[in-house]
This record gives sequence, C-alpha cells and structure tokens, in this order.
Amino acid sequence: MLRFIGTRMAQLAVVVLVVTLLFYWMLNLLPGNPCVAAFGGAATPEQIAECEQDRNLDNPVIVQWAKWGGDVLTGDFGKSYLTGRTFGEAITNALPRTLLLLAYSQFLALAAAIPLGLWSGYRQGSAGDKVITGGAFALLSAPVFVVGLVLILVFAVKLDWFDLSGYQPISEGLAAHFKVMFLPAVALAAGLLPIYLRLLRTDVIGTLQEDFVGTARAKGLPVRMVLLRHVLRPSSFTLLTIFGIQAAQAVNGAIVVEFLFDLDGVGSLLVSWVAAREFLLVQTLVALISAVFVTVTTVVDLVYSALDPRVRRR
Amino acid sequence: MTAAVTTVTRASRRAAASGRPRRSVALYVSLGWLFLVLASAVLAPWLGFLDDPHRPLAGQPEEGPSWSHWFGTDQLGRDMFARSVWGSRLSLSIAGPAVGIGVVVGGVLGVVAGYFGKWIDLAVSSVVNVALALPALVFALFIVTMLGQSFWNVTIAVTILTIPAIARIARAQALRFAAREFVTVASVMGARWPRLLFREVLPNVVPALASIAFLAMGIVIIAEGSLSFIGVSVGSPSITWGNILAAGRGRLEESPHIALTTGGVMFATLMALNFVGDELLRRLDVREARI
Repeated sequence: MLRFIGTRMAQLAVVVLVVTLLFYWMLNLLPGNPCVAAFGGAATPEQIAECEQDRNLDNPVIVQWAKWGGDVLTGDFGKSYLTGRTFGEAITNALPRTLLLLAYSQFLALAAAIPLGLWSGYRQGSAGDKVITGGAFALLSAPVFVVGLVLILVFAVKLDWFDLSGYQPISEGLAAHFKVMFLPAVALAAGLLPIYLRLLRTDVIGTLQEDFVGTARAKGLPVRMVLLRHVLRPSSFTLLTIFGIQAAQAVNGAIVVEFLFDLDGVGSLLVSWVAAREFLLVQTLVALISAVFVTVTTVVDLVYSALDPRVRRR
Repeated sequence: MTAAVTTVTRASRRAAASGRPRRSVALYVSLGWLFLVLASAVLAPWLGFLDDPHRPLAGQPEEGPSWSHWFGTDQLGRDMFARSVWGSRLSLSIAGPAVGIGVVVGGVLGVVAGYFGKWIDLAVSSVVNVALALPALVFALFIVTMLGQSFWNVTIAVTILTIPAIARIARAQALRFAAREFVTVASVMGARWPRLLFREVLPNVVPALASIAFLAMGIVIIAEGSLSFIGVSVGSPSITWGNILAAGRGRLEESPHIALTTGGVMFATLMALNFVGDELLRRLDVREARI
C-alpha cells in the first residue's frame, strides 16, 4: 500500500514538473517582453527592470522555471504586478466558491443519476427508459452555456426564484447562499448527469444478468433492495472511475459557469489573469490545478484499491 | 441444428427490425439538419434572402421573431437569423480543419501506439492520459491569449484538444484488430509491418475514426463556443455562435429570442452530430468510444 502511494506521489511530481515546464517554455515563445505586457504598457523603466530581475529573463527557460519552482516551494506564490494582490489573497477568496460549486454539482448529478440509472436499466426498453435515455442524450449534447442561459431565463428572469447578484458566502445565510449557487450547480450538473446515468444504466443491464441477482430475488428480497444492495454496489467502481475522469471535464464547465453567473471563482481568476498577462500567477495556478487533478485521480485509485483488494496486488 | 439456427436468425432479424425504422428516421433527420446547416454556412455570402449580418437597423431594434426576421433582431436592429448563419460559418470553419487534423494526427498516434505496443505505446499512452486528465479549456485559453485571438490560433488550440481523445480510441481499435486472425495470417504469410499496418489494421480503424469525427466535431464546436462565450475566441467584429450567446446573455430580460434562437440552432446541431456519431459507432460495434 505504501509503495503504491509512493509511486503515485512520484507520478504526481513528474506530471506537475512536466506541465509547468511546458507552460514556461510556451511563455517564452510569446513575442515581446512579458514584463512590459504585465504592466499593461504603463510601466516605468525601473519597474520593468525590477520585473525582469525578478523573473530572470536573461537566463534560459529552465533556469527561470527552476527559480519559479524554488519560490513556490518556499511559499512565495507570486503577486500581480498590476494590482499588487498576492496569489494567496486571490486564491483564498476564489477557491471556496469553485470547490463548493463543484461539490454541489457532483452531488446533484449523482443524486439524480443513481435512481434514474438504476430504474432505466431495470426497466430497459420501457417507455420510461426511453424518455430517460432520450433526455440524457439531449443533455449530453447541450453545451453548458446554453443550459445555463435557459436556466437563467426561466428561473431567474421569468420566475425570479434565484439571484444573479454574484457570490454570497454561507455566512450570509444558507438561503442567500443557495439562491446564488443553486442554478450554477444545476447548469454544471446537467453536463455530468447524462454521463453518470448512461454508464450506470449499461452497468445495471449487465449486472442484472448475473446469478447473484436471481438468487437475491429468489430469496424474496424486494426489487428496491436488490437494486440498491446487489446491483448498485458493483457499479460503484465504474462511477468512481468516471468521477475521476470527469473531474477535469467539470472544471472546463466551471470556468464557463462562473463566467455566466458572475461567481468570481478560480475559473474567473484564471480568465482574468490570462487576459492581463499575469503569467507568473497563471503559471502557479495551472500548477495548482494540475496537482489537484493528479491528486484526485490518485485518491480515486486509492479508494478503488480499498474497495477491491484485487487491485492492490497488481 | 438447422432449426435452431433458423430460429436464432429469425429472432435476431425480428429484433433488428423492431426499432430500426425509427432510428433510421432520426438518423436521416439528423443528417438532413447537418446538411442544411453546412449548406447555409458555406453559401451564406450568396444567399439573396439573407440580410447583411453587420447592417444595423435591418429591422426595428429588439424585435421578436417575425416573417421578415426569422430569429428577430438585436438591440442594434441587426437580423439575428443572418448573424446565426454567419456565426455557424465561423464555428464550422474552425471545427472542420480542427477535426480533420485531429483525426489524422490522433489516428496515426493511436494506431502506431496500439500496433507497435512496447515503449511507443507507453510513451503515447502516458502523454494521452495526462492530457485527458487536465482541464482542456485551461490550455485552450492559455494558447489563444498567448498567441493572440486569431482564426488560426483558435483552430490550433481546439485541434490540440481533440488529439488525445481520438488517439485513445484509435489505439483501442488498433489493439483490437492487431490481434485478429487475418492479421496473424498475413504476418505468417510473410507480410512486413508496413503492409500489416497500412493494409490490414488501418483500413479497419478508419470507419471508427470517421464516426468519431462526428463526435469530435461536437466537442470542438462546444470548445470554440465556450472560448468565444467567455470572450477569448476570434476577435469582435467576427460573428461566432459563442459571442452571439454572450451578447444575448445581457439581453435575456428584454429580448430572450437572441440567446434562445442561436442556442437552439447550436443545440440541434450538436444533437445531430452526436446522434450520427453514436449511431455509426453502434452499427460498427465500437464500444471504447461510447461517451
């Protein structure tokens, strides 16, 4: 087990190193002086010189990158040349919003996909199954910004049930919090739901052919119990795997959803930093995001091996 | 024995017959819609009834759909139907080359990895897996802002997104066919690897790749749409589906038709692409590509 974790940690380090080095290299392909760009063209020569000094622009890419890596490891995550705001300040403000958005949407997607997937797999070919699979197919084809626009139009503009006034933290009261977070979470969940649902349905149809399902039915267990205890359990592996894979997908959606609903989360931070050419901050953020991803996949693998001892031996 | 065989065929024929007509109708409707969208995008400059998408006051500002303006007008009185068609022109001319290059590059990488295995497979697969595990939009965003918001830069950015997904499927297909008897037979008969790869394995992977192209097209249209929705695609005077929707977002209260009409066209197009792709994959029995 320890060895398994060790290998995964090594992989994590390698991925983060490769990704950040790649980004640094791409940054250097950029025409013009990044320090001039970082100040939006309104910098004094001293400021530019200081910035160039700061970023080791005279040195080869690998040295610049190593300097950045050293700074990050010693807790210096960089700050905006334009506003003076540090990475830490910006991220502590933005991160909770994005994490909550992702958590709510995953919860909603699973809460809807599990019962619907179980039922449509159990009643394969029925009218209800056709409606559910058809709906899932439609949702799969709908881009998140189209879903979000329709949700805003119906529930915020016409019905006026929800607010679009920007993020409200939980400390402002749960009602206010969910009034702004519910629609974005639904918009994001709408993209995840069909993926979970279709996989679960396929799985359920397979599992229902197994002998142990027949046995469970034969000993008089009600259908609901059979589905939850005997059919859903083996499918939890598939759901877990796809959860790990879809995490990246969910962040793509989160960037768009945050923009659409003015949430100012990590995605919005990234968009504005890229636009302002705050490349050091972008670099750190990208490193953070890739680290989080590899960690998520690692955790998924660990849970996997905890659930199924056979995986550990490989 | 014969009786059993005939019952099986009859049963399977019956199973095949039920459900197939309706699917076929949906398939033809999807193909018809795609043809319509593609034709209007290609022919947009020569369609006489289409307004100039940039002309202000083609009609009263912010009017709902009517006979003279099928999709209504925006706050400058520009014809939204014309804008939608011209938007599809740009979105499709980015998606077309992106998918074309993605299928060729991703297909070659995947087939080579799947066929040769060993270190080539290891190298390709690990790059593909890392690429698939990272949020693609972050990279696209980065590339476009870095290189500048031009047509080709957006195309490059979204092309890079398609390659790993296509390579993964091509690899799985190549693995599957490389193990088949006809390849072994050809190899026993003395065929060398170029022949095996190009004459035996590759032709079998191509149909799957062609159907993946439809799904990839959908992904690219969404990716480009997301980029232009957040304002990071081709610059402002150009019309894309994404920037029509972004503009429509601000006018949801006054004129929801701006976002709804173009959003609807986009949704229908994506649904048609996914349906055709899914259906082709189902008929070719490609399992790895689902979802």
